Amino acid sequence: MGKILCVAEKPSIAKAVANHLARAQARNVNGVTYVKNYVFDYNFTRWGASNVVFTSVLGHIKQHEFGPRYTSWNSCDPSELFDAPIVNSVVDDKKAIARNIEEQARGAQALFIWTDCDREGEHIGTEIRDIALRVNPRLDVKRARFSNIERAHVINAATNPVSLDEKQANAVAARIELDLRLGAAFTRLQTLALQSMISQEHKIISYGSCQFPTLGFVVDRYFRVKNFVPETFWLLKLMHEKNNIKVNFNWKRGHLFDRMAVTIIFERCLEAKMARVTSMQKKPTSKWKPLPLTTVELQKMGSRFLRMDSQRVMKVAEDLYTKGWISYPRTETDQFDKGMDLRSLVEKQQQDASWGAFAQNLMNGQFRQPRSGRHNDQAHPPIHPVNFVVRAQLQNDEERRVYEFVVRRFLACCSEDALGESTNIEVEYGGEIFRARGLIVIQRNYLDVYPYDKWDSSQQLPRFDVGEAFAPKEVQMTDGNTTAPGYLTEPELISLMDVNGIGTDATMAEHIAKIKEREYVMTRPKGGGRAGDDGGVRSTTGSRGGRGGTGRGRGGAGSGNAAPAAGNSGIQEFIPTTLGVALIEGYDNVGLDTSLSKPFLRKEMELQMRAICAGTATRSDVVHQNLELYRAVFMRTAQQMNVLKTAIRKYIPQANG
Amino acid sequence: MANLAQEITSYLSTKSLSPTPAWLSTFLPTIRTNTPLPALQKTALFRLLATDITQSLTRPPASCFPTTIHDATIRERKLPGPLAVQVLDVEDIGRSCWSQVEAIEAAERGETTKGREIIRSVPSEQEAAEGVQTAGAGPHKLLLQDAQGVCVYGFETHAIEGVGMAMSIGSKLVLRDVVVARGVLLLNPGCVTVLGGKIEGVHKAWKEGLKERLIAKAGMGEG
Repeated sequence: MGKILCVAEKPSIAKAVANHLARAQARNVNGVTYVKNYVFDYNFTRWGASNVVFTSVLGHIKQHEFGPRYTSWNSCDPSELFDAPIVNSVVDDKKAIARNIEEQARGAQALFIWTDCDREGEHIGTEIRDIALRVNPRLDVKRARFSNIERAHVINAATNPVSLDEKQANAVAARIELDLRLGAAFTRLQTLALQSMISQEHKIISYGSCQFPTLGFVVDRYFRVKNFVPETFWLLKLMHEKNNIKVNFNWKRGHLFDRMAVTIIFERCLEAKMARVTSMQKKPTSKWKPLPLTTVELQKMGSRFLRMDSQRVMKVAEDLYTKGWISYPRTETDQFDKGMDLRSLVEKQQQDASWGAFAQNLMNGQFRQPRSGRHNDQAHPPIHPVNFVVRAQLQNDEERRVYEFVVRRFLACCSEDALGESTNIEVEYGGEIFRARGLIVIQRNYLDVYPYDKWDSSQQLPRFDVGEAFAPKEVQMTDGNTTAPGYLTEPELISLMDVNGIGTDATMAEHIAKIKEREYVMTRPKGGGRAGDDGGVRSTTGSRGGRGGTGRGRGGAGSGNAAPAAGNSGIQEFIPTTLGVALIEGYDNVGLDTSLSKPFLRKEMELQMRAICAGTATRSDVVHQNLELYRAVFMRTAQQMNVLKTAIRKYIPQANG
Repeated sequence: MANLAQEITSYLSTKSLSPTPAWLSTFLPTIRTNTPLPALQKTALFRLLATDITQSLTRPPASCFPTTIHDATIRERKLPGPLAVQVLDVEDIGRSCWSQVEAIEAAERGETTKGREIIRSVPSEQEAAEGVQTAGAGPHKLLLQDAQGVCVYGFETHAIEGVGMAMSIGSKLVLRDVVVARGVLLLNPGCVTVLGGKIEGVHKAWKEGLKERLIAKAGMGEG
């Protein structure tokens, strides 16, 4: 029997997979506490009956650094880091792990890689492969493709090995090199120049090509809020009572910012005396069930409803994945493959005390195919529950909340849209149009299992006939003020990063965590001291929708209307620190066109990473192009250091120098 | 030559424009008489539209604002016209000044160039599906000046093509059967014909000062 060496990315995965394949025996590994070698026999389709050793690494094994000549900050000009040679070596505390791989690789017939199926995993796979091939160049190297740790799925993956994707690994290698060079060069440049100006003596002012644009969004919103000035608008309100029901009509124009115009229109309405119904339409309407769940959505919902920040949500989701309860939580795919058996997943949820009845309903004929979004990363399906677990058995409350959310979302996807009937009445009065809308929710459908969406019946509207004329009971001209947008909340920031193409689903939460860690931003609960601290911002009724700057940019409270989010608990908003503001403004002043605070440089880089994965660009080309782009910015910044210093002095009054 | 002047004048009057003899006398020497007539007529129109009508148009009473035009006690009156006016100012009264300033600043930062767009607000999925109106389509308020130099405000009750923040200052409009409510013109496609044109220097100054005026109007300058 040949020997097969299997290597996973984490010990927990190794243990889970090994135990799905056979009754595995755990053996300790010299020098490493957490990693075990699981030993068992298994009959692989590709290699036949084999002795298997299933081990793991602990994430990346190799590190990349500049050669010894460049490590000291004073040893060279930071600009040299763009070209300085990079040295790979095994991280000190991973040496024992590398040795374990080398030992097990000797005498093995094949290396079967079980790292997570994403770019980073692919790259780690190549690190493992390189270590193993050095001692045993004749190894047959294969890779398992899996999206969850469920038994049948894992066995299927074991039966159908594929090849490592060099392209993805290259994309990561390009990213690692760029992050290293750009991070180090700019960090050294700005720290050496500015450090003495800031009170904390040895603080490093670090730079990351993704963190800066993320910080840029926070600063940008901060200034929008600070510079906001409320403006008065005027509007007309029409109210009529029929059959003892009060109907409020909204002005089609919403509101206008010119008092004279509205006054004149108002007078002409009053002169007209009678309003005439121009259309009355009852029609079926629906509220769409949600799309299948992606990482970005999970992070946003986590912040809004689960009271966890994005990093925490991802950590919990990963734990649930490792334990086999949900599928791989890093995915951009929002469509389920047609061939996937979703019903069996629904069936598993029938036992639950809360949503079991709903799941049973779905099994009894109410099941519907989920909607398909437009994204498919070709690697993993949308996040879904893989197995049923009684929530009380989960480790902590956070796991319970995330698991519940994933299940409810999935069940909602497999339901019907909510159905209702909307009544739209349009009335002409004095040459102006006013509208009233009523909604009757007829079938809640998915809403019954998905409390995160709201759709409520409005009051019943009385019947109006087209052509019917009436003298309105009340016509009023009132005013209101525009209200400032709020500071950025985490779900909004994630949306902005997503929509502007910076950060991938896997990294967005990290970048946000980084700018907090480096004290470029701080968070505070939303609603505490909003723009209203300039006094007298009277938020009122007024239009729906975004006209006149009524704070569309505010996240959290759904329909974007006046009052602060009722769900204040747990939603954090981001405020930049003075250092954060100084850096962004400084770089913007150095050269707006290619400012490091703008997303497009990073967005370009991300696009090029995808191109490497797709095979349309090479690693060296991408690295070269980006280095040239950033080198230009670097040179300019170095020449205009005064500009950065001025910004620091402006915002940090105690700054020296 | 006199015949030519007549042809041109009668053509311009079909556009409801009545040039002064003084203007004609500066225009006629600049043309080549062997150019075909339609081309000459178009040229005349084009040049006239680039002038300041307080200098270049005649002032028969029927084609100008009546002396009582600003009387706000008159609830409603109608001006039969045709009345040629030029636009001295245009405002979007459907949007707050602050949001308009933001949009200008975003363009100044280069965020409207292709590849450099920065998206700052993300509508929810269903909002996008329902086609919630984004800002920018609000009715416009215009300051219109007739050949006498009298200025009157007007605003769109229905959107008029060619009227908006992109229009040129000095653009010429012809008003016919327009309702005047309390001294303010109620403009709609039925009573307004947009002829176009521009007064170069005035337009440039207007454009350059737009952001500042919006800031002042919003009261953003203070604190």
